Amino acid sequence: MGLGGMNKLNWIGRSLPRVEDKKFLMGRGGYIDDMDLHGMLHVAVLRSPFAHAIIKGMDTSAAEALPGVVAVITGKQAAELCDWMPDFNPEPNLHKWRVLADEKVRYVGEGVAVVVAESRYIAEDGRDLIEVDYEPLAPVPSARKAQEAGAALLHDGMESNVAHDSTLAFGDVDGEFERAAHIVREHVYWGRTAAQPMETAGSVASYNPGNGMLTIHANSVALTNFSFLVAGTLKIDSNKLDLVPMPAGGSFGSKFWATRATVTAGMCSKFLGRPVKYVEDRLDHALSCDHHGSEREYDIEMAISADGEFRALRLVCTDDYGAYFQFGLGTHGNAMSQVIGPYDIKAISYRAVGVLTNKCQQGAYRGFGSEVHNFALERLVDKAAIELGVDALELRRKNFITPDKFPHKIPGGNVYDSGNYEAVLQEALKDARLDYWRAEQAKAREEGRYVGIGIVTQQERSVYAANEWWFFRGAEGVSSVPESVSLHVDALGKVSVTMYSTAFWGNSPETVAAQVLGEELGVNPDEVSFAYQGTNKGLPGSGPGGSRFTVMITGAVQGASAKIRDKAIKIAAHMLEVAEGDLEYVNGGVQVKGDPSQRKSLAEIAIMPRLFKHQLPDDITSGFDADMVYDHPYTTLPTADRSDLGIFYPMMAHATHIAVVEVDVETGGVKFLDYIAVHDCGTVVNPRSLDGQVIGGLAQGVGQALYEEFVYDDEGQIQSSSWLDYLIPSAMEIPEVRLGHHETPSPFTPYGMKGGGEGGRMHAPAAIASAVDDALKPLGATRATHLPLTPERIISMVNGH
Amino acid sequence: MKPPRFEYLRPDSVGAAVALLNEHGEGARILAGGQSLIPMMNFRIAQPSHLIDITRVPGLDAITDEGNAITIGAAVRQSTVEYSPVVKDRCPLLVEALKWVAHEPIRHRGTVCGSLAHADPHSELAATSLALNATFTVVGASGERQVPAVDFFIGPFTTVIESGEMLSSVSFPVVPAGSGYAIDEFSRTHGNFAIAGGVSVIQLGADGKVASATLSMFGMASRAFRAFAAEERLIGSMPTAEAIAEAADLALVDVDCSADMHGSEEYRAHLGRVYAGRVLTSAVARAQGGSK
Amino acid sequence: MSNIDKHEITLNINGNSTSLTVEGRTLLHDTLRRAGMVSVHAGCEHGVCGACTVRINGQSARSCITLAVQVDGDEITTVESLAKGEELNIIQEAFWRRHGLQCGFCTPGMLMRVTEFLEENPDPTRDEAREAIASNLCRCTGYQHIIDSVIEAAARLRGEEWSDDAGIPARELGDATEVSN
Ligand SMILES: Cc1cc2nc3c(=O)[nH]c(=O)nc-3n(C[C@H](O)[C@H](O)[C@H](O)COP(=O)(O)OP(=O)(O)OC[C@H]3O[C@@H](n4cnc5c(N)ncnc54)[C@H](O)[C@@H]3O)c2cc1C
Ligand code: FES
Ligand code: FES
Repeated sequence: MGLGGMNKLNWIGRSLPRVEDKKFLMGRGGYIDDMDLHGMLHVAVLRSPFAHAIIKGMDTSAAEALPGVVAVITGKQAAELCDWMPDFNPEPNLHKWRVLADEKVRYVGEGVAVVVAESRYIAEDGRDLIEVDYEPLAPVPSARKAQEAGAALLHDGMESNVAHDSTLAFGDVDGEFERAAHIVREHVYWGRTAAQPMETAGSVASYNPGNGMLTIHANSVALTNFSFLVAGTLKIDSNKLDLVPMPAGGSFGSKFWATRATVTAGMCSKFLGRPVKYVEDRLDHALSCDHHGSEREYDIEMAISADGEFRALRLVCTDDYGAYFQFGLGTHGNAMSQVIGPYDIKAISYRAVGVLTNKCQQGAYRGFGSEVHNFALERLVDKAAIELGVDALELRRKNFITPDKFPHKIPGGNVYDSGNYEAVLQEALKDARLDYWRAEQAKAREEGRYVGIGIVTQQERSVYAANEWWFFRGAEGVSSVPESVSLHVDALGKVSVTMYSTAFWGNSPETVAAQVLGEELGVNPDEVSFAYQGTNKGLPGSGPGGSRFTVMITGAVQGASAKIRDKAIKIAAHMLEVAEGDLEYVNGGVQVKGDPSQRKSLAEIAIMPRLFKHQLPDDITSGFDADMVYDHPYTTLPTADRSDLGIFYPMMAHATHIAVVEVDVETGGVKFLDYIAVHDCGTVVNPRSLDGQVIGGLAQGVGQALYEEFVYDDEGQIQSSSWLDYLIPSAMEIPEVRLGHHETPSPFTPYGMKGGGEGGRMHAPAAIASAVDDALKPLGATRATHLPLTPERIISMVNGH
Repeated sequence: MKPPRFEYLRPDSVGAAVALLNEHGEGARILAGGQSLIPMMNFRIAQPSHLIDITRVPGLDAITDEGNAITIGAAVRQSTVEYSPVVKDRCPLLVEALKWVAHEPIRHRGTVCGSLAHADPHSELAATSLALNATFTVVGASGERQVPAVDFFIGPFTTVIESGEMLSSVSFPVVPAGSGYAIDEFSRTHGNFAIAGGVSVIQLGADGKVASATLSMFGMASRAFRAFAAEERLIGSMPTAEAIAEAADLALVDVDCSADMHGSEEYRAHLGRVYAGRVLTSAVARAQGGSK
Repeated sequence: MSNIDKHEITLNINGNSTSLTVEGRTLLHDTLRRAGMVSVHAGCEHGVCGACTVRINGQSARSCITLAVQVDGDEITTVESLAKGEELNIIQEAFWRRHGLQCGFCTPGMLMRVTEFLEENPDPTRDEAREAIASNLCRCTGYQHIIDSVIEAAARLRGEEWSDDAGIPARELGDATEVSN
């Protein structure tokens, strides 16, 4: 349903204070670490100091003898207690991983044993007493070194460290490059970062040997359809595992299918028959979280016609996956969904090379690989403008997909649902005062100061479908990605909502659902109550991720509300003695069409099926509840030969970002002078909450561009495991952002919404790099293509390196 | 990340603290604000057997105006110094230096003496003590000794304080009237440790020439250090831009710059020269402006 | 080294004198959490992030790098002291209305820091507010809405009305159908 033909909206579009927030403001958020069960034990994980080594032996006797230590479980024992970890890697037999390494460690920080004790303090004391005999192997510290002849192999069953190498090509790529008037090439490096939410991943597991039930509360329960995989790892029946979602203190992807903490706590609890808590500390999370973000190198080139038309894109993307391949090619599925950016490019060739190295594995981080692609593409477009000698904005405009072309099928098969890129750009330019900044730039240059302006126009895909995971391989994959809610209307007409995955991780699922319920059932959003149900007997959910939650939960709430309304009308028809067809649901009650005087409120209606079933017609059952499982609203499957990948990520948001920076060419420091961001993610539910997501993502983009990096040295030793070195930007590093919104509704989603949760991080890095280039232009500096742009790197760019 | 076990002791005099240090030997350590020591213990990099908390020793929390110097006891918190009217009046450079140290909540707990005793190569306060020629009072079983700043810091996290000794106070000479002073640094994020920085105090003669100059650098080598060659270049000269540039170039002669993920040796050397130039320029400008 | 290093200490937590037995090594944030103040969050446990910020004798401090024994006899204030029953105090409410939080994990530390800051500087500029909260990391918000909240709270504490940009809770809007959009 689009916006057209809809009634005026009462609640959607308002910047309501979020319904989640009061408990957090009072310090009563109920995070995983706030949970305390009687007799609960605590876990510390012993981690490998080596990047690559054989575990020859382990002596745990001193640790076991320490008063307060209840058990030590080594990797070898864990391999008996648990099966392989569940993951989505395309070659399940070649590079499997375990919750603890049993025979071999493959990165610094990989767990080799756990100590379970009365307190975390004692568990850590015990950990210090374990002695491990390692036989170090040659480290494989980078994707390049991993591919060199003679490099040590991470996984014995493999012929090389290259876990994957395949190319997807659509359209006449070679022909376009042959015919091209210009070919522009760029080499891009994107440093390894990670989401690093303020709260780490954690779980509290409680095993009842009496009935065999293992209940695990965790802040990382997404993809509830796959909880049976976790049960498999823990070697229990899938119907005896209940994963209960807890609010997450931030995720940004890091808690998406994050199963390490869950399996760790679950394993210990099942082994000991006692409740066990494992909440990662910062070091656990930095060294060995479930996934770091992408680390990638691109060789990317574009064929351009004589009059500046982008004809074809060809790229080789080398991904440093770390030790395991947990998410397979999901990070490339994300990139493929918006591979041509906002430009009408007709042919593409995308080669993905996945290399295994002695580092923590990579996976989801806000953008999930598409943000890296955005960066590479916009860097290439900027370079094209320079090489063609044309204005970079005009070049972009010339190639924009125009509003009349939507829905627009892109090479590969995904569809962009809607958009108006020129309008977004216009709005950004209107706010940007570019004339002022160009004048400031000129003035600054005279004073020997270097000011630069960077403008990028980029996509933000949203609402993924499961087939984004599987088209790089031949086999069929999973296609379900539902989201569910249950609505309950009690005897007094009060509405409760049950959700089924860790919906809350800093986004606002409850506020969205409440605002939608305001529209759908006419209830006051502040009067709705919320609960989260575990996976056992729960309805299917896929959780937040890929900017899907707002759209999917809205669809579910909408569908469940329709069922509630239908039942309300049925009951009211009986109460008012009017035919159902003459009734309508308006403003939180049922009334005779056109006659508000003949009306029953939801409260008056609700008590009937709760308490007076047998005074109602026979076909009205007791209770006033509705479940709704909402499936992806717009997806098609890949063809068997993959000549068409299907529609897998169609709700296409868009943004223009404009960064104005000053570079201190003596120190290499970068300072923001201004920042403008205009986003179009369809109908906005809560503008201020969306603004918060955009700025928050943007701050992570600033971190990516200038500050953050997990640096591993040549020995595979990590240099930035503490937050003194892994530099999360503070308020002083983040610009004041001037925001705008344009609303181009999606024709395929409820109310025309699209996702908007990842955008800032997907756009800021390219805008900042572009601004740095612009600042340094008079100095003949090399281009900003290697992130992060550390001060030292900027100095070396100024020096022409 | 939890600290290992130790025994916590809280003496009520400096003498008792020193006695405890001697009684418990190598594993015993002074605990001041804990803002460096406890993070290291949380990482289990430091594993002391005994912690001797000196923050409640009567008298150690005093800031004393000695006329030509300000003496700061070992229990005085950084923020107390930062907001002390007498320090602001008599030794404003110290106030400026403190603004660069960590964040306010950390300065509420951390002590000035703790920072100096910790001798982090990145320490603003260490460099400030060098630029101001501070004097350290070190107490041991056999009594106390006075150590000038230039002799106090000997390596990364290492000072002349020996096992069984503690720092009881530090005296910062007041900034002479009419002198110019400056501190500046480059840190990658706000409140984080500097990867290069400098402190300078300059006095000009009636002829406008540099009568005295100190320049110290931090964040770039195994310890904070005085850049004597740079100082000598300036003393007796007119502080022209050229003279300052030449002095800045001399700031790092014979210094082995450190390297880490935030900067190579070459980059740190480059930054060091930049910051030497910047603080000398500011200090000279203030001296010329007659500011205090 | 002795294995048992227990200390009887008394903390005045949010106005309540509380006697506790702790080890010398017990960190203040763990002590407070065990005493029920679960608003005190551990984000990094090495002093960088400020999620564990509480006030010790009125001064903001990192409770993750403070031992409980060090603050024996001191007054500790945590976020639990701010609201009266269901009613948020002005600073909390400003954070609510101006969306000064997302996941809420940094929020208690941020609130303690901001409370102190506004006592010292009741009429701050945005830049001053920005610098004051730079002691505390937030991974969600990008800080802008936190700064908005600080400015909003300052104005309200000075007796001004809610600004036009402050969201109005749904409950106060009542039946939104009566309010123009
Ligand atoms: C996030 C963060 C950022 C920081 N940023 C900076 C920064 O930018 N610049 C900076 O300089 N510092 C910084 N610090 C460190 C901070 O300034 C510390 O407070 C200070 O270095 C130590 O002071 P303290 O009183 O806390 O000492 P403690 O931590 O108690 O002690 C530190 C060391 O000194 C010894 N010691 C302490 N007092 C004495 C004494 N009287 N006699 C003998 N030995 C003694 C201790 O045994 C210990 O080995 C930072 C700290 C953190 C957590
Ligand atoms: S948890 Fe204390 S500063 Fe991060
Ligand atoms: S609101 Fe999530 S860290 Fe600040």
